[in-house]
Amino acid sequence: MNKFLKIFILSILFISCSSDLDFNQVNDLKLEPVAVANLAAFDIKASQFVIGGVEQSLVGDVMNFDVFSDVDFSKNLSRVDLFFEFNNTISRAYNISFYLLDDNNTKLYTIPFFVPANTGSPVVISKTEIFENTKLDILIKTKKVGFVITMLPGTPLTDASVGNLKMRSSATIYFLAQ
Amino acid sequence: MRKISLFIILISMSCFSQNKQLLYNFTSVPQSMLTNPGSDVNYNWFVGIPLLSGFSANVGSSSFSVYDLFANNGVDFNTKLRNVVFSTSRNDKVVMNEQLEVFSGGFKLGDWQEGSYFSFGMYQELDVLTYMPKDYAILALDGNKDYLGKVFDMGDLNARGELLSVFHLGYHKKVNENLILGVRGKIYSSIFNVTSTKNSGYFYTILGTNNVYDQVISANGLVQTSGLTNYLENYSGNAQSDIMKKTLLGGNLGLGLDLGLTYYPKENLQFTASLIDIGFIKHTKEIESYRYKGYYNYVGLTPDFVLGNSNDILDEFNDAIPLDTLHTKYTTWRPLKFNSSIQYSFGDGRSSDCNCSGGTENKYKNAVGAQLFAMTTPRTPLMALTAYYRRQIFESLEMKATYTVDSFSSKNIGLGLSTTIGKVNFYILADNLLEYKDISKARSLGFQMGLNIIFPDKNTFD
Repeated sequence: MNKFLKIFILSILFISCSSDLDFNQVNDLKLEPVAVANLAAFDIKASQFVIGGVEQSLVGDVMNFDVFSDVDFSKNLSRVDLFFEFNNTISRAYNISFYLLDDNNTKLYTIPFFVPANTGSPVVISKTEIFENTKLDILIKTKKVGFVITMLPGTPLTDASVGNLKMRSSATIYFLAQ
Repeated sequence: MRKISLFIILISMSCFSQNKQLLYNFTSVPQSMLTNPGSDVNYNWFVGIPLLSGFSANVGSSSFSVYDLFANNGVDFNTKLRNVVFSTSRNDKVVMNEQLEVFSGGFKLGDWQEGSYFSFGMYQELDVLTYMPKDYAILALDGNKDYLGKVFDMGDLNARGELLSVFHLGYHKKVNENLILGVRGKIYSSIFNVTSTKNSGYFYTILGTNNVYDQVISANGLVQTSGLTNYLENYSGNAQSDIMKKTLLGGNLGLGLDLGLTYYPKENLQFTASLIDIGFIKHTKEIESYRYKGYYNYVGLTPDFVLGNSNDILDEFNDAIPLDTLHTKYTTWRPLKFNSSIQYSFGDGRSSDCNCSGGTENKYKNAVGAQLFAMTTPRTPLMALTAYYRRQIFESLEMKATYTVDSFSSKNIGLGLSTTIGKVNFYILADNLLEYKDISKARSLGFQMGLNIIFPDKNTFD
């Protein structure tokens, strides 16, 4: 009577078979997600360039930007694209610089833009800056970023001037984890 | 060797529900009382061989097999992983259950006319259920760049896992010729628990107007753990003795109840039903939970050229969606299992000269029946329907064959054998037999075996 039992156990443990498997394949795991996110945006009215009746031809701001320097983050980075788009409806031209800075406000990298004056049709300027390989290290060292806007000479602005200088920007982040 | 390692990996990696369709109502195996405290068992007393009386493991996943991921077929692992992820849905699950009986025993109360039994024991159980965190997997594989407009569901993270020991004491009584009622009380001692089953929230990215993107994250996540804090940081104790202590009622404690019945509307017609693990565990010791809750509309840096009041995006994010570590007590409910069966018996199994067995069960050589199993999960309950055939092949050998349909398989054929040689009872039950022809492609496998010593019931007056 134990024949049944033996056949049963044998069939389960020995007659069964398995396809060729390779669990070491886990080591080949490579994750390459691509994330997109806002980077920065501003919208300055023409009248904001005038303070107390005096035109401000140079404005700027520095902000903390301690994102790419995070070790867990940076070790899995393979490329970062920074995209900027300017939309100018003010009748003045601008030189704009985007600075990557370290903790001591030392400039690590500058991305310059020239935004022409609006002469009737909207002015849209865009630029994509790609950081990869050794250039990526600049981004990883970055702790702060700054914008400096220089308004170029032209018809003086007043409190009643119309138009905006708009900027929006984003980052496309290519990860590589393996 | 490969087969053995695969089997171990299957057991340790991805098992499935606790449907014990072969063991349920297979009354020649004393452990069947753990699936129905009101089983119509027949013995004078039994004792399980310590650590060998009951081992069960259920293996499987509802959407993919080990072969799909690890086949040595020249296809890049990442391609296989993508295929698996994109062929699954958020309701696909990987579930594991393993039970090891440490000791067990039972005895009949009173004289031969009495129909009351006590049974008791202790077993260790590992129970894991995780749903496919599909949207998280998509984010990890692809990121959000190619998914503008998609709302990622943070509720896709839904998992629970527990290692516990269970002490139980059961009583069952033949109320009358047709009805047997049973009850089992349980004390749970949880060795560790991880629960994250009530997450919600979303994350989306769409094209914006003032910003390049409109990006919103709304999160309400909670991961609760107990029994693990000692091992998360610098641990100087002795893990083995710790676990032993927790096994012996030193863990987070809970109470549970099993209820069951067997009813014979007619002599050859049997109905059974049971509710297993109506119970809870109160987690009061070694608790560490993580809560991640808030709403954040991310616009990026907003330089302020007039006043210099620009934002700090990291601070903003941490304020909007703080990650809190909590040490508050919590209660978990055990997964509740429901079993039911209806059985029709036929074929005279009595020896021709005397009706010694007397019990209703052994009068018939054959039985056919149907079983229904349901188990609570964090989402919709697991269900399984089984048709079965039981046969007494010899007086000492009984067989049960099952055909089960559930979310893991629609052609799950199982076979169980229980043999009693002298006073030693040995049983082995295995399901999804069709899958054994290539075990690596199996999505689910269930396996139970054990050894008992049974002193058969004497239903006659000596």
